[in-house]
Amino acid sequence: MPEEKYLICEDSIEGVFTGIYDAYAFREGHEHLHIQIGEEENLRLFASYLYITPDLVKTRKVAETIQKRLGADTYMSICRALATEDTEKGQAVYQTVVDGITRGSGRRVLENSMNPHVDAVFRLSRCAANEIHRLMEFVRFQELEQGILYSKIGPKCNIVSFLMPHFADRLPLENFVIYDEKRDLYGVHPAGKAWYLVSGMEPAPESLQLSEQEAQYQELFTMFCQTIAIKERKNLKLQQQMLPLRFQEYMVEFVKK
Amino acid sequence: MENRKDTAMEMRIAPAMSLMDKLNILADAAKYDVSCSSSGSSRRGDGKGIGNTVAAGLCHSFAADGRCISLLKILFTNECIFDCKYCMNRRSNDVPRASFTPDEVCELTMEFYRRNYIEGLFLSSGILYSPDYTMELICQTLYKLRTVHRFQGYIHVKAIPGADAALIQRAGFLADRMSVNLELPTAESLQKLAPNKHRKTILRPMKQIQNGIAQNRDELVLYDHAPRFCEAGQSTQMIIGATPESDYQVMAVAESLYQKFALKRVYYSAFVNVNEDKDLPALPGGPPLLREHRLYQADWLLRFYDFTVDELLTEDRPNFNMMIDPKADWAVRHLELFPVEINRADYRMLLRVPGIGVKSARRIINARRFGRLHFEDLKKIGVVLKRALYFITCNGKMMYPTKIEENYIVRNLTYQSLASRKEKQLFAADGMQYEQMSLPL
Repeated sequence: MPEEKYLICEDSIEGVFTGIYDAYAFREGHEHLHIQIGEEENLRLFASYLYITPDLVKTRKVAETIQKRLGADTYMSICRALATEDTEKGQAVYQTVVDGITRGSGRRVLENSMNPHVDAVFRLSRCAANEIHRLMEFVRFQELEQGILYSKIGPKCNIVSFLMPHFADRLPLENFVIYDEKRDLYGVHPAGKAWYLVSGMEPAPESLQLSEQEAQYQELFTMFCQTIAIKERKNLKLQQQMLPLRFQEYMVEFVKK
Repeated sequence: MENRKDTAMEMRIAPAMSLMDKLNILADAAKYDVSCSSSGSSRRGDGKGIGNTVAAGLCHSFAADGRCISLLKILFTNECIFDCKYCMNRRSNDVPRASFTPDEVCELTMEFYRRNYIEGLFLSSGILYSPDYTMELICQTLYKLRTVHRFQGYIHVKAIPGADAALIQRAGFLADRMSVNLELPTAESLQKLAPNKHRKTILRPMKQIQNGIAQNRDELVLYDHAPRFCEAGQSTQMIIGATPESDYQVMAVAESLYQKFALKRVYYSAFVNVNEDKDLPALPGGPPLLREHRLYQADWLLRFYDFTVDELLTEDRPNFNMMIDPKADWAVRHLELFPVEINRADYRMLLRVPGIGVKSARRIINARRFGRLHFEDLKKIGVVLKRALYFITCNGKMMYPTKIEENYIVRNLTYQSLASRKEKQLFAADGMQYEQMSLPL
């Protein structure tokens, strides 16, 4: 019986894509290969563990192959699935790629919901997509003294890099920053230039100096939100269902002053 | 214009009123308009201004009534020369009045937009002096937003009934969506409750906008950079429960609006009695929210599920069943068509199964290419099996042995719908009970 091999990958697109490249390089079929993100707590007997170092050349090759063989939409879905915090996502993505390329379902691979790995990628990707969509809606910028727009978020998935293109297109002439406080990750957009990510910086101080007018607009919008509700139709449960508390805590119109 | 003299007086009063006071009055006055959608336009920013639009629309917040806040929904002014009986801002009401200036509307829109509070502007208005005067002010505001501020976000604007066609045309080239409210389903009701409005002055701009959109489509085929006219189409709204029309009459009007005026969307607004007028029904149980919800559900059946009104309602059965949704209601009265085999049924028939929506029907069709589907696959696909199970087979078998009999299924579905969390939240919340909902007929 062939030995089960576990490829231990870093939790990133580069980590998993490098793992997929190496898995293919074994050329011994895919049934006994597993991609795992992070250390295993309970090591299995009769299995070998290999540590994979992310490699940019391998990553690019895998990314290009996925885009060419499975299409741009599937590629984006896979990237979104890898932005979630799920522990099985590496294996699910790997087996989905195998299904698409080796078994030939190609660009339609994500429609094969009867394959549990494909179904997992579909669900994870949808989960991240929902959070991306919601944060496009719920991100609140505050204007700082120097006119910079600053927003703090605490998303479940690692999605700053999915939000930045949307806001860069929308606010091309603004300096803005989106800060993911759970991952200490900053998306930075200098006015008129390309955006980039920064991590490992000092976390932003709790009391950023707001611009002079900022309080006034926050007050205007908070009042607007209260006024626009029809009291005969009041339904706080529905409000909370549409806008869960975990988002409300970052939004000016809900913050208790 | 005898009233022009008043402008001077208004100028004296206006500075005394803060932007906060104005926004409070003019948002409050706009809140009964249902539409807040920001969908239907897809436009990238040009890199030189601010804003873009997203086809699916974005809801930036939710108010305490659970309705979405997508656009800065305001009236330009709540001054009004009309006296519509259902309207808070009618001439004969003694309410605080305010008017924005075009610059104030621009300031609020821009400052809210860059903070990502809103997706754009929804600008409606009472009628100040005359329809033309009001529409002219609205056009000025939009023109400033689009050119001086280079705003490329979403704009929904009302066409003021009775305004000059050239003004409507101008607004159409500045807005993503336009709407003219039909207000009430029949001409008689309109005459009774809105004596200054006429069916003709409502339908004329609607027709004009429809033609404008069609003509623009032809221009865009020839010339890619032709200016866009109401890219996101037009919508309208009807007040439900202020007048005695049946659901059948309301839906028949909606259907003909979709067919003859190519509307994107018809909205239904449960009547909220704000004026206590003798011509208006008293609503001790509150606004008819469940009825509004059934009409809303049926409207989706018309637009996305290929149903016609005559399939859903008839002269003899002119109102929706309050206890089950219109699609389930249709299905239990057509049991001869069920059960359908999931692995063979076409898309149109799948859509007619209660518990299967547009997304899950699409996914079933796609997944069938890879092999035969079983009940557990349907669950993963998102089919609501507890509703669908009476109407489907998978590989020739039903999920449980069940009677295919109208009363039995209705009893089971009603039990679920009463128990269903969503409908409870929508309608039984905050002390409202099914029994309390008196429907004016």
